[in-house]
Amino acid sequence: MLKLILNRLAFMVVAGLLLLTFLFFLFHAIPGDPARLIAGDSAPETLVESIRQAYGLDQPLVTQYTTYMRRVLQGDFGLSNFSRQPVLQIVGPRLLNTAKLAGWSMLLAMSVSLLLGSLSAMYWDRPLDRGITAFSLAGICTPIFVTGILGIYFFGVHLRWLPIGGMSTWKHYIMPVMTLGLAQAAGFTRMVRACMIDALGRDFITTARSKGVPERTIVFKHGLRNALLPIITFFGLGLGHTLGGAAVAESIFNWPGLGRLMVDSILTRDLPLTQGCIFFFAMVFILVNLMVDLLYRWADPRLAND
Amino acid sequence: MMDILRRYARDRVGLFFGIMLLAFYFVAITAQWITPQDPFETNLSEGLEPPSAAHWLGTDQFGRDTLSRVILATQVTARITTISLLFSLLIGVPIGMIVGYIGGLLDAVVMRITDMMLIFPTIMIAIIIVVVVGPSEHGVVIALGLSQLPNFIRIARSAALSVRRELYVEAAVAAGASWPDILLRHVLHNISSPIIVKSTLALPGFVLGASSLSYLGLGVQPPTPEWGQMLHEAKDFLTSAPHLIIGPAIALSLFVLSANMTGDSLNESLDPKLKGRRIKRIVPRLAPWFFPRFWSRPISP
Repeated sequence: MLKLILNRLAFMVVAGLLLLTFLFFLFHAIPGDPARLIAGDSAPETLVESIRQAYGLDQPLVTQYTTYMRRVLQGDFGLSNFSRQPVLQIVGPRLLNTAKLAGWSMLLAMSVSLLLGSLSAMYWDRPLDRGITAFSLAGICTPIFVTGILGIYFFGVHLRWLPIGGMSTWKHYIMPVMTLGLAQAAGFTRMVRACMIDALGRDFITTARSKGVPERTIVFKHGLRNALLPIITFFGLGLGHTLGGAAVAESIFNWPGLGRLMVDSILTRDLPLTQGCIFFFAMVFILVNLMVDLLYRWADPRLAND
Repeated sequence: MMDILRRYARDRVGLFFGIMLLAFYFVAITAQWITPQDPFETNLSEGLEPPSAAHWLGTDQFGRDTLSRVILATQVTARITTISLLFSLLIGVPIGMIVGYIGGLLDAVVMRITDMMLIFPTIMIAIIIVVVVGPSEHGVVIALGLSQLPNFIRIARSAALSVRRELYVEAAVAAGASWPDILLRHVLHNISSPIIVKSTLALPGFVLGASSLSYLGLGVQPPTPEWGQMLHEAKDFLTSAPHLIIGPAIALSLFVLSANMTGDSLNESLDPKLKGRRIKRIVPRLAPWFFPRFWSRPISP
């Protein structure tokens, strides 16, 4: 297990370096003069030229690349073009805010989907199952910016129960977490239902029934435990999607997270900031993937020796 | 072909949503003629009006007719999703087919790259691509086409792998057929069904991707209407003109719902057990999409 973890951490380091290289060349492929972007459209040519020299943008590509990698490995991701703050200082707190939003949403999505999915499988092909299936289908087909705007209108503008943006009190959490969490729960519920129907159709369930084990024990102990393996994988993949959805949800609810920062930085063409956001997002995805992998091996010891 | 359609037609729910999807495409194609008013004509004195007989869905902040804009947005969405879907198919299927058929190091490298891409949510990859190509309609097409590429490569690869060891492929090799010929005539011919199914199943993802990007301001730019972009604009007028969200929200959700249900239903009709001869008949019809030149010759039995 320890060897596996070290192996994967090594993979993460390699992936991170590859990612940085990829981002460096990707951002060089963007049309436009980066020095002109920093200086602004109306700046005189002499200023643009001095910025180009100060930032080393007149150096050969290889020199620029090595300087960039050396700086980044020392934790220096450059300065934002607009606020002139170090990128790392801006990104850090934003990442934490995104983690809060995605974490609570994931928790909500997992609990709702485990409950609804199991109920759906227990009452398979009966009205309750159909109702839950319709709910999950509606959730899959409605983009979160539609549910988000509807939520803002009813609870924020019309009823005035909840604040429509920001994250200062617990009330600010309700709408973003509900929007993002329920959207994820819709997809998860379908998956949990399919896994549970599969698990409840096995022989040991029939055996348990014939022994007279209470139905609740059968479903939540015998059934759910056996359905859990594929569900864990799916939840892991879902966590990545929740983070992706967070980028959209943050824009709807003015949540000061990494996703909104990234979108804003793209719209204002603040390239160093965009680069930092993409890098940290990508590292989070790789980390999440690693954790799911380990969790999966922990849950199914048969895989541990692979 | 008829068999698949007959089986599909027996699924009432699927058929209903299939017709709805076709209706959306009909609206998209005829959008120029059926918009009640000019979707770009501004009239500031009639801004933010509630629904009325003249404007069924009201007017936006510039006094433009919302219904006309929703109808034109259908065309924009249909255009973006169709082109980006074709883009993914045209690039992903040949790559997947070739690496699946050849295997070896090339296969391993391509699979590692797709694995890496699949770690990230599609919307993230799409956003990163938009950074490079710039926010525009072309940008959305490229971003969606490329971000969905790994899925298409994988499906074509696994399908190609499954037929690689089939007797008819070995027979073709023994008969001295060239490898493009084997790929096109024998492999593509036999793997088209999962690819067709996959492309219908991927359609909702394309629609959601296009509208999410436009909602974020990274996609279709105003004044061109797009559902996501219209919702983004409507969000600023929730207190004074909440009716602005009705049209785009309903249209977008219904389009995704009908695409989803049609894909599911077609998926069931194209049951793998029933593939083979029945599927073969639609292949010559779809093949010109992929490789126009090679398919003019009749297919050998």
